[in-house]
Amino acid sequence: MPSGTTAAVSGLAFTPTAAALEAAIAFVSEHDERGGAVDAALRREALARYDALPAPGGRPSRGWKYDYANLPFDDLRWTSGRVEMPALPARPTARPATAGDVDLDRPALATENAGGLYFLGATHVDAPSNVDAKVTLLALDGQTVRDFEASLDGVLHEIVDWRADKLAALTTAFQNCGAYVHVPDNVQLDDPIQLIFASAPDDEAVFPHVVVVLGKNARATVIERHLGAGDPFVCGIVEVQAGAGAELDYAIVQQAGEAARVMFSRNARCEHDAQVRWHLAELGGALTRTVLGVRLDAPGGRAETSALFFNTGAQHVDLLSGVDHTVGPTTSDTVVRSAATDRGQGRYVGNIVIRPKAHGSDASLRDDALLLSKRAHIDSIPALEIAANDVKAFHGATVGSLDEDALFYAGSRGIARGEALRLITLGFFEPVIARFPGESLRDEIRTALDRKLDDATELDV
Amino acid sequence: MSTLGLIARDLRVAVDNKEILKGIDLTVEPGRVHALMGPNGSGKSTLAFTLAGHPGYTVLSGSASLDGEELLELPPDKRAKAGLFLSFQYPAAIPGVSVANFLRTARMAVRPEDLNPAKFRKLVFEKLDTLDMDPAFLGRYVNDGFSGGEKKRLEMLQLAILAPKYAVLDETDSGLDIDALQSVGNSVNALRNSDEGKDIGFLVITHYPRILKHVPADVVHIMIDGRIVKSGGPELADEIERDGYDAVRDEVAAARA
Repeated sequence: MPSGTTAAVSGLAFTPTAAALEAAIAFVSEHDERGGAVDAALRREALARYDALPAPGGRPSRGWKYDYANLPFDDLRWTSGRVEMPALPARPTARPATAGDVDLDRPALATENAGGLYFLGATHVDAPSNVDAKVTLLALDGQTVRDFEASLDGVLHEIVDWRADKLAALTTAFQNCGAYVHVPDNVQLDDPIQLIFASAPDDEAVFPHVVVVLGKNARATVIERHLGAGDPFVCGIVEVQAGAGAELDYAIVQQAGEAARVMFSRNARCEHDAQVRWHLAELGGALTRTVLGVRLDAPGGRAETSALFFNTGAQHVDLLSGVDHTVGPTTSDTVVRSAATDRGQGRYVGNIVIRPKAHGSDASLRDDALLLSKRAHIDSIPALEIAANDVKAFHGATVGSLDEDALFYAGSRGIARGEALRLITLGFFEPVIARFPGESLRDEIRTALDRKLDDATELDV
Repeated sequence: MSTLGLIARDLRVAVDNKEILKGIDLTVEPGRVHALMGPNGSGKSTLAFTLAGHPGYTVLSGSASLDGEELLELPPDKRAKAGLFLSFQYPAAIPGVSVANFLRTARMAVRPEDLNPAKFRKLVFEKLDTLDMDPAFLGRYVNDGFSGGEKKRLEMLQLAILAPKYAVLDETDSGLDIDALQSVGNSVNALRNSDEGKDIGFLVITHYPRILKHVPADVVHIMIDGRIVKSGGPELADEIERDGYDAVRDEVAAARA
């Protein structure tokens, strides 16, 4: 089959069953000449794990509607493949035409310097990219897995423990898109690499698997975006390997459609003196569940996790972060800010584990939640497990409402209560926003939060 | 009858069902400085918060107006828009909101039509200079981690930038060292000597007379136990400095007896 043709979104009806999996396996072998990133045997094993594993978490609060054991998968379609982007129009500027110029009627795609990969649903949109020639940036499919077997060894399917994570097992079984990013030793990128997941008009079951490998002393920024007006079920895996001395900023801006369900298990492994910084802005979707982990396996490793979510309407957000200090000295710094209004429900679980060999390590975990309406609810559950001596560990958590003194103070300066509330709420998120890479990305998040404030209906508590 | 002025009439105010202000009558005229002095707990700050519209204060009776506009029914922001400014004794922190953003938002709120960004910037830098403030201040979060002196300087910066019709300075001198007090005084005087500031009426609330050495008062009122018991010229402040509040208290008790 010539490249650039495939399957439209039609695909198959999706359910997490053996019959659907066999149909998917047949679909890939029939329609995708590059093959799937996951072979049939592993898919079957993963589905068996999915069936065997318990659903994650309980219902944290009375307003929580979702039961992970019984998520409805009605009317979802599953497909896999690629389409070629039509030739790009010439641009009048000196800058070469980039994939970022592609207009899919979604303004966020037109980001400058947007070298990256694009997915419409699970379909890889094959478009030219201006990413540095030294970087490997490919769709994660069978051909890619075969071509880069050596550098994927010990990484692919190994960094996220899908055998112990029901949703990651589901992703492994039904994986239908993904990306492979490899930044070689000593290559330091100025511009971010973008991975854009736009929802297709039809409601799709999208199972992305992203692998990012940074060589020694490599430096890169990856921005993963979720956007579009559709209401997909997205359940993905992100695996990151940071080589000695490497530095990765990995930012996620999730602005999926309002009925979308977006779930990700993301984990990173740091070698000597490597630094991984997760940045998460969880803004869209009806139900989102995110796991952000870092394993510090060698001395000098550092993990920074910065996450924010803001639940409006009836949004539910489940966020889990974990840092595993397996050796010392390693450091981690986790900062989470969350707010909820209307009937928004949230849960944050923050784990820090400092194992017996991790002496000299330093871990800090700080999370603050802001409730803006009476029906909103956020649970905050930080947990530190320390098995080494001679370590520094800090954790602090607050759940509160807006500071009346600050509201009055702003009021006394002529700032009306509604506007003061907006100012103070946006300010509340600022410590996390300030850690995102790049002023344009930070402004984008501020604007998105501002819009969410516009949409909130129950703001005054 | 002229209604110009920041005027309280028979103002009685309770906090947590306890009457704190027991009938205040006071008129601050445009361009004049009134000092309100009194011992701790006499109700000075209660008057300041009541005028500014703090929700924790219940007005039992009386009225307050600003150049004829009734204040008591208005929310705090409308009072500021009417021309009232309160310099807080303990200004609240607003983490995550930069001083620059806050100043711009406040100025836009009280005077929506004027000043393009370049002119606004020029104004801010002028006022920073008057107050001996480092422009790096603008990038910090409002009162977040500020020292006592920095907080008061920021209050004075806002006063200068918002240029209200009436300003209530609540214990602006407390917690300030000599240098900080001097720069606060300079800032107020510079404002009073400017075109936009010459008509500002001030109510300077203080426990100690020392701020009045920098910002001379035209009228001094002594408040004790929720009432203004004595009013007079600047010499009244000297009297307090010499004899303390007990002398006034005794005098009032004697007059009642």
